[in-house]
Amino acid sequence: MKKLMMILGIALVLFLAACGDESASSNGGAEGSDGDWVPEGNIELVAPSAAGGGWDTTSRMVAQVLNEEGITERNVGVINKEGGSGSVGWAYIAERNDPHNIFITNPQIVTSPLSGIAELGWEDFTPIANVIADYAAFVVHADAEWNDLNELMDDIKANPQDVSVVGNSVAGGLDHLQFLKIAKAAGVDPTTVKYVATQDGSAMTSLLNGNVDVYSTGLAEVIEQVRAGNIKVLAITSEERIEGDIVSEFPTAVEQGIDETFINWRGFMGPGDMDPAAVAYYEDKFKQVSDSEAFAEIREQFGWSEVYMDSEEFKAHIQSEHDAYRELLEDLGMLKQ
Amino acid sequence: MDFGGLLLGFEFVLSFQGIFFVFLGVFIGTLIGMMPGLGPITAIAVMIPMTYGMDPVIAIVLMAGVYYGAVFGGSSASILLNAPGTSSTVVTAFDGYPMAQKGQAGKALAIAAIASFVGGTVAVILTMLFAPLMANVAVSFGPAEYFALMFMGLLLITTLSEGSTTKALISAVLGFMAVTIGTDAQTGTSRFTFGSMNLLDGIDFLVVALGLFALAEVCFLIINRNNKMQNTANLGSLRLNKKELKEMSGPMSRHSVLGFIIGVLPGAGATMASFMSYIMEKKISKNPEEFGKGSIKGLAAPETSNNAAATGSFVPLLSLGIPGSGTTAVMLAALLVLGVKPGPLLIEESPEIFWGVIASMYLGNIFLLLLNLPLIPYISKILQIPRQLLISLVVMFCLLGVYTVSFSTFDMLILLVFGILGYFMKLVNIPAAPFILAFILGGMLEQNLRQALTISNGSFDIFWNSPTAMALFAISLLSFIVPLLFRKKKMK
Repeated sequence: MKKLMMILGIALVLFLAACGDESASSNGGAEGSDGDWVPEGNIELVAPSAAGGGWDTTSRMVAQVLNEEGITERNVGVINKEGGSGSVGWAYIAERNDPHNIFITNPQIVTSPLSGIAELGWEDFTPIANVIADYAAFVVHADAEWNDLNELMDDIKANPQDVSVVGNSVAGGLDHLQFLKIAKAAGVDPTTVKYVATQDGSAMTSLLNGNVDVYSTGLAEVIEQVRAGNIKVLAITSEERIEGDIVSEFPTAVEQGIDETFINWRGFMGPGDMDPAAVAYYEDKFKQVSDSEAFAEIREQFGWSEVYMDSEEFKAHIQSEHDAYRELLEDLGMLKQ
Repeated sequence: MDFGGLLLGFEFVLSFQGIFFVFLGVFIGTLIGMMPGLGPITAIAVMIPMTYGMDPVIAIVLMAGVYYGAVFGGSSASILLNAPGTSSTVVTAFDGYPMAQKGQAGKALAIAAIASFVGGTVAVILTMLFAPLMANVAVSFGPAEYFALMFMGLLLITTLSEGSTTKALISAVLGFMAVTIGTDAQTGTSRFTFGSMNLLDGIDFLVVALGLFALAEVCFLIINRNNKMQNTANLGSLRLNKKELKEMSGPMSRHSVLGFIIGVLPGAGATMASFMSYIMEKKISKNPEEFGKGSIKGLAAPETSNNAAATGSFVPLLSLGIPGSGTTAVMLAALLVLGVKPGPLLIEESPEIFWGVIASMYLGNIFLLLLNLPLIPYISKILQIPRQLLISLVVMFCLLGVYTVSFSTFDMLILLVFGILGYFMKLVNIPAAPFILAFILGGMLEQNLRQALTISNGSFDIFWNSPTAMALFAISLLSFIVPLLFRKKKMK
């Protein structure tokens, strides 16, 4: 019995240690001597998704640089608040309303409220800074008949029912919208595109075994399969080609005459009406992260681009994204009435 | 097979740090797995920050150890408390818990440990021999084939019932209803969420399982507390006699292979494997009526299968870079962070990772057996805790387990709802197992059917044109019709 209790005890300690990040910091924050805001406790970066996704990885990498390079005085932890395509995490931030709790986001904070998936949206939060940009890639089987994006788009225009596009997000999610955004610019009626949503990462499997024709996903996800010669990249959605081994061979949609981009920007936001002094504090810290050598290495490792925007720029950027997605979703008939 | 590679793997694993990290991994895994409500995903999530900056081989060996260790140890909570820590040990409770109730807790735990060991080890051997070949199998399944596989499970649902088929079907329909809650992936529409964002992702399987099994049992025990309870404090002997070992050997050899194959398929995983094995074993058994009442075969089959599947799920991860389950997806992310790029070229370019994992699994399974068997007498003493205390502990661990999956208090309420539902189902003798199976199958069944039909523009030809799908349909129809024919003959 004693031994059992001991085992239980050890396990409990382990468990509590693992949940250490949970114990949130106190409210507020202190005014420094010259009106600056400094954190009073640990900083919590919230990833509104499960461990292992893009939000999670980005915030963990940022936290790692913040801690290891000694950029912040206080410890920075990452916690996951998954659910509802981000809305559970957003509600958590709104409820905490504490400048020590900020979260990472991407275009989903614009698209989810527009399509009615989420109640809260970007207007309810304070943009702090954008740190990176990631891009989409449209890939097909190595043996597929299409060799560039125009051939594919022409085929979709002619026979939309013959081409299926697969993605890991639900219909109306980013994997879906990124393809439609480019397809629309190529003159395809976006409502005719046949989209198959998969879960459990079976999208790549379905492409490899020929069940679907096109896989719409992130750039980093395709590199290894391209190297192995299993798939080919028809286009990526950046303005210009990306530097790096292999990725520099991926053609952009723009260079193929389809003048449209899709940028999966990732940045941080805080609760609504955040103290400007706190915003300034974080802006400075994220700028330091973005400029650091350690983060440059990380960017290269994941194929991310350096796109730093301060609070003002970030806000203006989101506003323009909002207008663009509003139009796209309206064309699709997916705009919330 | 690449002997050089295997040697390379063993060279790493048999070094001091290799042995240390394999042991650490399986130890942490078993420990977390044993806690009711806590399973591999929690265990891996805990490990991720620890692996930052580690050598990639050590990191993956450690995480793999935690994973299969948690699946290995996960059977204890199912057997002793009817409180599975992970979806893949839900089936273990079907016969394991009745065995413990009959005073054979020690024996049940020993069977689970041996079956897990055999399943895990056979699967490692199969991975070693057939990984590249199996990788092709993994990508051969498309929506049509998955639908056929789920359909097979669906037809066999009534196998899980004791007595009334109608009641089993009622239970299954309830399960199907529950799984439709959430966002529909194909259209992006939210269904039956009543405007609650907490329901947008649907209900977690573990919440349902803990509610219907553990909490329902707790309700039952509390409400019937004045009944004279049978003495379960008797742990029984640990030793298995020859006859029992012989009884186990059939299911162990069958389901280590079946479990491995299902585990290799991305998306199917250990949970599906344990269910399929249990159903198959019951189907071919001469004494199906023993199942659910503490059958040795009914315990050995899923325990072999889920461990074999856990090992099998590393095949698509390591040979293709495609994660087959939620747990391996988390591991993939952790590998990326360490600078490893799992993909089709991993075996060629970083053979030490692939072979390191394989070699570590041989050692890990041995460690697990040595770790778990001697612990059995102590673990099973948990049943000697006064019942009032034990019940409170179970409730606490269920709540804790659910909370650690999503860090959401809302899920705890859902757990209570399913606990109450489970109690009432128990009261009117509606079995919970078909509910659970329908809940697992339902979502994948629907999504795969609709994916297949979207691809084919609504034509059912997509099923006719797939030999694999047709074979699976044929097997399911045969397994349904043949017993009916036999029954008719007998009646004449």
